[in-house]
Amino acid sequence: MCGIAGAVGLKDISNVLFDGIRNLEYRGYDSCGVALINGKGIVVKKNVGGVGDVYQKENILRHASHMGIAHTRWATHGQVTRNNTHPFLSCDNNFAVIHNGIISNHLELKNRLQKEGHRFQSETDTEVIPHLLENAYKKTGNVEASLLLALKQLEGTFAMAFISNHEPNQIYCAKRESPLLLGIGDEVKFIGSDFNAFIDHTKNAVIIDDDEYAIVSKDGYTVKNFVTMEEVEKSITRIEWDSETSKKGGYPHYMLKEIYEQPQTILNAMEVEEGTIDGLVNMIHKSKSAQLVGVGTTYYVTMYANYIFSSLAGRYIPAISSDEFVSLSPVDKDSFVLAASQSGETYDTISALKHAKARGAKTGAIVNVMGSTLSRMVDYPVLQGSGPEICVISTKAALAQMILLTRTALKLGVKNKKLTQKKYNEYIESLKSLPGIIEGILNERSGFIHRIAHSHRNVKHWLYLGRGMYYPIALESALKMKEVAYIHAEGMPCGFLKHGTLAMIDSEINSIVFVPPSSEKVLYESTLASVAEIRARDGYVLGIHFEERNHSKGLYSEELILPPVPPVIAPLIQMVIAQLFAYFTATSLKRNVDKPRSLAKSVTVG
Amino acid sequence: MKAVILAAGKGDNLKPFTDTRPCPMIGVAGKYLLDHSLDLLQKAGINDIFVVVGHQKDKLVEQIGEHVHNGLNLQYVEQKRSGGIGDAVLKVQDKILPGEYFLLIYGDIVTADNIFTKTQQSFHAFKGPVASICLPPSNEMFGNVFLNANMNITKIIEKPKGDNLGNYVLSGVYILPESFFSLLETNGRSMEKAIKALVKDEGLRASMWEDEWMDVVYPWEILRANKIIMDSWERSEISKTVTLEANVTISGTVHIEDDVIIKAGAVLEGPCSIGKGSYIGNNSLLRSYTALGDNCSVGYGVELKNCVVQKHSHIGRLSFIGDSVLGENVDIGAGSMTVNRQLDWSTIKVKHQKKAKDTGILKLGAFIGDDVVIGAGNTIEPGTIVPPGKVLPAHYSVPNK
Repeated sequence: MCGIAGAVGLKDISNVLFDGIRNLEYRGYDSCGVALINGKGIVVKKNVGGVGDVYQKENILRHASHMGIAHTRWATHGQVTRNNTHPFLSCDNNFAVIHNGIISNHLELKNRLQKEGHRFQSETDTEVIPHLLENAYKKTGNVEASLLLALKQLEGTFAMAFISNHEPNQIYCAKRESPLLLGIGDEVKFIGSDFNAFIDHTKNAVIIDDDEYAIVSKDGYTVKNFVTMEEVEKSITRIEWDSETSKKGGYPHYMLKEIYEQPQTILNAMEVEEGTIDGLVNMIHKSKSAQLVGVGTTYYVTMYANYIFSSLAGRYIPAISSDEFVSLSPVDKDSFVLAASQSGETYDTISALKHAKARGAKTGAIVNVMGSTLSRMVDYPVLQGSGPEICVISTKAALAQMILLTRTALKLGVKNKKLTQKKYNEYIESLKSLPGIIEGILNERSGFIHRIAHSHRNVKHWLYLGRGMYYPIALESALKMKEVAYIHAEGMPCGFLKHGTLAMIDSEINSIVFVPPSSEKVLYESTLASVAEIRARDGYVLGIHFEERNHSKGLYSEELILPPVPPVIAPLIQMVIAQLFAYFTATSLKRNVDKPRSLAKSVTVG
Repeated sequence: MKAVILAAGKGDNLKPFTDTRPCPMIGVAGKYLLDHSLDLLQKAGINDIFVVVGHQKDKLVEQIGEHVHNGLNLQYVEQKRSGGIGDAVLKVQDKILPGEYFLLIYGDIVTADNIFTKTQQSFHAFKGPVASICLPPSNEMFGNVFLNANMNITKIIEKPKGDNLGNYVLSGVYILPESFFSLLETNGRSMEKAIKALVKDEGLRASMWEDEWMDVVYPWEILRANKIIMDSWERSEISKTVTLEANVTISGTVHIEDDVIIKAGAVLEGPCSIGKGSYIGNNSLLRSYTALGDNCSVGYGVELKNCVVQKHSHIGRLSFIGDSVLGENVDIGAGSMTVNRQLDWSTIKVKHQKKAKDTGILKLGAFIGDDVVIGAGNTIEPGTIVPPGKVLPAHYSVPNK
């Protein structure tokens, strides 16, 4: 998982590249580097650290140049060292290369190149590319031909770009599986892993597809297919996000900003056209077997949908974690597989859908990033319109996906005659009330949640418990705590307690229980029984519930009381509470909230 | 940008210390609260500072005069009669030019990190009025702020009632336009009403402060302010004119100023600070979060723990002072002891405006005003407030009849 950027056209391109890779930092941020071209040749500056750090350490802004490429890395091959940082140079210093993806045959290529006398500086797979280019140039004497010759030898996935002393006014790039776009400004042309690489400068983008390469100069670009060798006509996509929405604007972290944006993202999800939802409903309805896939947070989103489809539409649609899909799913041509992914670039989910497509299944996806791999590969993409999610931890995008899946389940329920139109309308009204309720909770309870989180910041173990559709909420909420606060948190159905796990209850482990409204009588009472089991062993329980204080007197160790709401939105409100709880625990522990360790925004590696 | 620090209030809740000084002239972690704010302002690139003075102004004015803050253009403006916060703000009306924005700061807030830099950053992003907001340890004292996703403050609710409520509160740092003065005038000089009018008319954006923040309201909160600042220290600073005798043990971060003498066998467990010219006797133990002002003397074998002592005070040999605040020129006789917990470990109550106020704290000593003399051999009950100038006779088990 890495971010690449490049620009050609202006004298102070190192400045432009700085904005570019800084905006891409969320894709990976353990080291970064740039390659610039000036009168004397290629200058490579790189080091370990975040973009701001490296720019300062290496004094990169000092280097005036009209063209350059930049890379921010998240290590997959080799350790985080300066030598392993992109860009990489050929032995003759005539080619500087950046790359996102994995070259699967790099060991074999490296052996061969080393035998031919090429010297390698790094442990990375990428470094074979500049040496292949150097070899090819010796044979062909032409940069474009060298690129094609090199591409023929590469196996695996890549979005790569290079600059060369032989053609000092052009950036060359090529793509297979890893994302790559061009940005088309008036005076400057860009390349990038996604829009954020150039969003400060232009809103016009060209999406490069698999097996295509592009040659980009100050005045224009050409895109060709490297398999068919034909030139490809590309249309310009206009980016609707403005760069302001990508900035933090007064919030201390993107995570909190995105939590506060949730009322708006729910509205956006409610405004996705009826016809779009109907299309999804038809795909599910027509299929003999339907399955949901997602990984990490989106797996829990789909698990939640599993409960929603069962209870509202009477249809059992299992959720399968993308990474296990190939091992588990009996998918065939009568299946419909629906994925959820914020970035649309999640490697595991893309692999799962490739597997499904190969078996002839129909596919759909709920994604946030238009033009992403997933949105282009499935038969039926639905754009959730949540706006950019910069924090690596997903909050608003996940909630919006849950709303869209609930809307789908409701429509399917009507189609299946499980729901009357009247009941359907009631549910929709409940969903519409959600933004206002969440806004109220954020505004009236953030300080209270902060106090509870702060006072328990040193707790090392948490159990997150729920029953029914509150169980996936417990799982997702525990994941938030793990991801952002690095604290052990385990999501579990309440029913598991009496099957051995109660043995863990002691003063070292705290529990959070997601209590349904008491109108859900059976679920409510059985959840309270579980709370009592923990309390009987002197365990600490934080109850998140919707009843009056007296209703549950003395039952919880501490309680977080929410206003009464319709049951269909109750779990979603509790999820928002848990987001804040994880957030404030993380800030109390001074964690790097927007870029927690060991996680990248879109996990594009297997 | 110009800054205005409000330092005129009487600070009744902070008695006995505000009987003899304005709140910002309370020393913690080796400096006056005012100096901590001035340091942060200077680091935030703000050099033109107006301080509104009133209650006990001479102490503050004298300090401004005597204190040379490198490059700071420091001026004071007087609020003659106490007329509330809004009235105090209006005192600087003629110092701010039309169209100009200024940074307004309440003089009794304490932060470890630079809240002023953060507020200025938000101001540059929003290009309009900004209020810094933060998460306090409790909400009962403060106005709750409601926000929308764009960080616009939509309303402010004073002291919310109801279960589980509590949100971000105003932290006492604002960046306001010159036009705010006319809002104050049309709203009866009430800060609260003028801010609400600003929210309605021009709009007020929030700048979230997530680091430590506190408003020093009660005397026992001086200890917390001291801790917040000491916890932010990254390194020790020991003046080269300090005399350290043999077997002095120092651990943790310490700030020791000019001409301090530390006698043999003393143990300093940082963080702690010792002001200019102070004397630490043989075999004394200074435990963490001890702050001694200038020219204090600590006798042989004294134990100090989590206590803030203003300048020129003397603590006689073999005494224990813990979880306590001592004013200026206090004289504690030999063998005195502040008892700092109840036998049953109940929370300690302090007599405050004739009522016992529960501090919620398990270990708390005494609050001793300026110029108090405590004779030898006294033990002082937890949570006791001793008013300035009081003389307590020595306690003899064998009186000289």
